[in-house]
Amino acid sequence: MRRTALAFAAQFRQRHRWGLLGVVGYLAALGVYNRLIRAPGPPVHLDNPEAVAGVVVIPLATTFIYLLAVFTFGLAGDLAARESIFPARMFTLPVRTAELVAWPMLFGTVAVSVLWLGTALFGLRPRGIEIGLVWPAAAGAAILAWTQAFVWMPYGLRGLRVIVAVLCLSALDAIVFTALTFKVPEPVLVAALLPQLPLAYAVACVAVARARRGDVPDWRPALARPGAVAAPSRRRDERFASPEHAQRWFEWRQHGRALPALVAVLLPFELAMLWLAGDTPVLVIELLLLVLCTPPFMAAFAAATVGRADTAAPGTSGLAPFTATRPMRGAALIGAKLRMTIVSTLVAWLLVLVATPLALTLSGTWPAVMDRAADTVSIFGAPRAAVLLLLLLAMCVATTWRQLVQNLYVGLTGREWLMKGSAFLALTLLAVLWPVAIWTGNHGGVLAALWNDIAAILAALGLLKLLGASWVAVRLHRSGLLSDRTLVLGAAAWVGVVFALYGLLGWLLSGPLVPRHYLVLIAILAVPLTRLSAAPLALSWNRHR
Amino acid sequence: MSESVIGITALTRRFGAKTALDGVTLDLPRGAVYGLVGANGAGKTTLIRHILGLLRAEQGTVRVFGADPVADPVAVLSRIGYLSEENDLPGWMRVDELMHYTRAFFPAWDDHYAEELREAFSLDPTAKIANLSKGQKARAGLLVALAHRPELLVLDEPSSGLDPIVRRDILGAVLRTIAGEGRTVLFSSHLLDEVEQVADHVTMIRDGKIVLSGALDAIKASHGGGARVPTLDEIFVAHVGSSAAVARDA
Repeated sequence: MRRTALAFAAQFRQRHRWGLLGVVGYLAALGVYNRLIRAPGPPVHLDNPEAVAGVVVIPLATTFIYLLAVFTFGLAGDLAARESIFPARMFTLPVRTAELVAWPMLFGTVAVSVLWLGTALFGLRPRGIEIGLVWPAAAGAAILAWTQAFVWMPYGLRGLRVIVAVLCLSALDAIVFTALTFKVPEPVLVAALLPQLPLAYAVACVAVARARRGDVPDWRPALARPGAVAAPSRRRDERFASPEHAQRWFEWRQHGRALPALVAVLLPFELAMLWLAGDTPVLVIELLLLVLCTPPFMAAFAAATVGRADTAAPGTSGLAPFTATRPMRGAALIGAKLRMTIVSTLVAWLLVLVATPLALTLSGTWPAVMDRAADTVSIFGAPRAAVLLLLLLAMCVATTWRQLVQNLYVGLTGREWLMKGSAFLALTLLAVLWPVAIWTGNHGGVLAALWNDIAAILAALGLLKLLGASWVAVRLHRSGLLSDRTLVLGAAAWVGVVFALYGLLGWLLSGPLVPRHYLVLIAILAVPLTRLSAAPLALSWNRHR
Repeated sequence: MSESVIGITALTRRFGAKTALDGVTLDLPRGAVYGLVGANGAGKTTLIRHILGLLRAEQGTVRVFGADPVADPVAVLSRIGYLSEENDLPGWMRVDELMHYTRAFFPAWDDHYAEELREAFSLDPTAKIANLSKGQKARAGLLVALAHRPELLVLDEPSSGLDPIVRRDILGAVLRTIAGEGRTVLFSSHLLDEVEQVADHVTMIRDGKIVLSGALDAIKASHGGGARVPTLDEIFVAHVGSSAAVARDA
């Protein structure tokens, strides 16, 4: 048993020593700063978002996410895959499954507990922030243990792991926050959280045992029959009209069904709530907004697989020789991928647009929606209200597609370090921007200053985008990956879409409150350009290493 | 001498501190079977990946049919049939879907020949690639590499996937037919007896350097000390030394 523990410890140390040393260094620096350098000051209150953001949220959230990734082995596997993410090489170790699960779970739960205790003792308490020591550590440990259990479980469908994990962890979060809102005493919270650990451990044991004996359920055949309309198998005498058609079919079969499947799994649960919200019109509208947000939200998860250069090469993120040796130019390979994302987006929205009116009718909640529609018509007039509705829908569809493709270039590089670094950076930015946004919202002066300079800020962002796009265009031209004609046509199409959006915004928001140049800048920033046009460069970097 | 199918000049490639290819110069004329032999890690696959344009030449030049495979992948890859040692065919495809898909990329695809090969390889058209055995996957890969009658057939360690019967009866016959039709075959292997049976020309590679290259008969003649003609295995031992054991065992 001791040997197994040492083996796991050595593995974590070897692979993540710099990251884990960084965490220890951060806690040590926090302690030294607060106890030795910074003089005792006035207590920091938790209702001060600036303090919470600076001292707790940013480093704690980032580090916690990092520890989650390390101890679930999430950095080494494909989160969307059906197979367990637990390293398969460990299945051959001569130890019982219970032991195989116990050590990474123990190390992980201890690490997050130490993280919290370190932050609280070195960072919070010296500044007078009195917050429980035990329940946050228990909550962190429970979240980590359940994440391990969900991530190590084999699933019947690709991407299902992400949905299950997000739903269950959100539920756990909601329980904790509800308990805090109602000021549940710490001992009660701890008593509720600590039993989660053995429960999660038991589930994880079952998960790893199934993965160890190769028991990976496959629900694809069950879904293949209804999906056959959208993705029929090729009949033996059927021919593709061109290589582009063949590649489009290949992309659709490989990645295209991920988003519609994710939406199809989540949608029934959301629409079922209409029956519960029948008597409360506000809730019905909120549920509809939730439904409208589902495709763009799930697109962010589907993008993780769509962006990957290839799933035909298990265990690698590079382009498999099978795909790399297709006699097609990189631009054509990307073109097939982009067309697939458009179809995938439209199919996902078709599901929403068919299922939602059906659910509204069956649940008897149409009147609530019609009342709200009548209000909108009385405010804006019928034509403008209709355009607003269509625009809202178009924006949702466009946002879904944008979510699918905006980080395509990262996946197409086939560099694992770049993909993981990019995800880590995005999470870190989120952890930073969220508290900063809250802080800004609570400081009227700062908000006013930002609003005064909004034109300059938008212009700077627009300039940055155009500079980036120019750099990409020059690289594309020099490398010969895209012909001059394609480059010019692409640029012209982008300008056309920007002007169309500007015209539409101008018509909708005409008035003295919103100057015209704001609308131009918004249109420039809204239409994807730089990251999308970097995709051929990324693929070339991957295909010709 | 006929025109060169593959022309490589002073190709050097490093992966970190390791030099995978060191000043390789190679010229492969049309219409023969070339065996690329060497121990594991000698640089065979790296060389083949340069020929396919999967690796960019850091130093030196690579030309296939006179074109740069990185700059013009369509012109080069449309004339090549390739069997990867990685068995990376998409598992979700059925055998007939794989044939339909691949056919779209190659105008010269021969349906009749593809069907002949499928029957010879005993492949069920409705079988999913993921459910095939390793040997069957290699046969499926060989089928789609051959069915468009490529001008250049590149096989990376075909022996690692194909069973002895396919290797002896089918692969050998196919390779000879291709060469007989004036097309070119380049295949890498560490099975020296197999190379000796099939190849007309042999290139030996060790630690990223070509140590011997030429017509097999000429190589044998130049290494013959007396009445007995040496085997390729003996020549390999003479040039590569102790690594030969590794090569034979691999």
